[in-house]
Amino acid sequence: MKESLMEIIRCPIDKHELELAVEDREDGEIMAGMLSCPECGETYPIEDGIPNLLPPDMRDDAAA
Amino acid sequence: MGFLENKARARLFYKYLSQVYDTINPFIWNDEMRDEALSWLAVGEGDRVLDVGSGTGFATEGLLEYTDEVYCLDQSIHQMEKAFAKFGKHSNVKFHRGDAERLPFADNSFDHLWSSGSIEYWPNPVDALEEFRRVTKPGGRVLVVGPDYPNSVLMQKLADAIMLFYDESEADRMFTEAGYDEFEHHIQQASQGSPKAITTVAAVPEE
Repeated sequence: MKESLMEIIRCPIDKHELELAVEDREDGEIMAGMLSCPECGETYPIEDGIPNLLPPDMRDDAAA
Repeated sequence: MGFLENKARARLFYKYLSQVYDTINPFIWNDEMRDEALSWLAVGEGDRVLDVGSGTGFATEGLLEYTDEVYCLDQSIHQMEKAFAKFGKHSNVKFHRGDAERLPFADNSFDHLWSSGSIEYWPNPVDALEEFRRVTKPGGRVLVVGPDYPNSVLMQKLADAIMLFYDESEADRMFTEAGYDEFEHHIQQASQGSPKAITTVAAVPEE
């Protein structure tokens, strides 16, 4: 994802602005990192360049 | 209650659906129907549009004819991988994983919003429609394509068992409840006898 996306993406739960921690950047594209909500404490990973903004109950590892 | 209202089951279903989706889809929702619906959304060049339930990118492809600013959202990475192959993973098209009923975007982020072939899988469609209104600018348009409720009793039973189908009066109820006061429905059909789509174009009210 591009860093400019931070302007419009929000926490899906409380719609608060997110904080970005970059782990890997390639050609202006954030490939790995973590988005976190300072309001509710939830974190959202950037996986292979794609922000995973699914609420925790809908993630692949969520219990069925 | 539909089969896919359990989100974990929906994820599993999509994982398998994505294998065949673009093969079976044209029978129900083809290029002509998509392009007709796109003309109703009337996106201007440079407009920022969110494609909710973008899946394999069939609608995204059409939206790109109007604007370069297309944002895709889907819950399934397996569906999205087909779209990466079409547009490139880090091209103009911006991809996000997320839930239609809890959109990860700020208020008034988009000029218009498109969602086709997705509403039938949402557990709470009114919640999603409210979210669409929130993230789209006042005066913008929200377009939703869903399956029209079938006429035959047998098909109705099947429909109710697996997913949401709705007719115009039900669409009226959902959009009104979600806070829209101006909208119109179009029934679209590939050919006589094939399943009908119901396409709603709604104006986002001024606050």
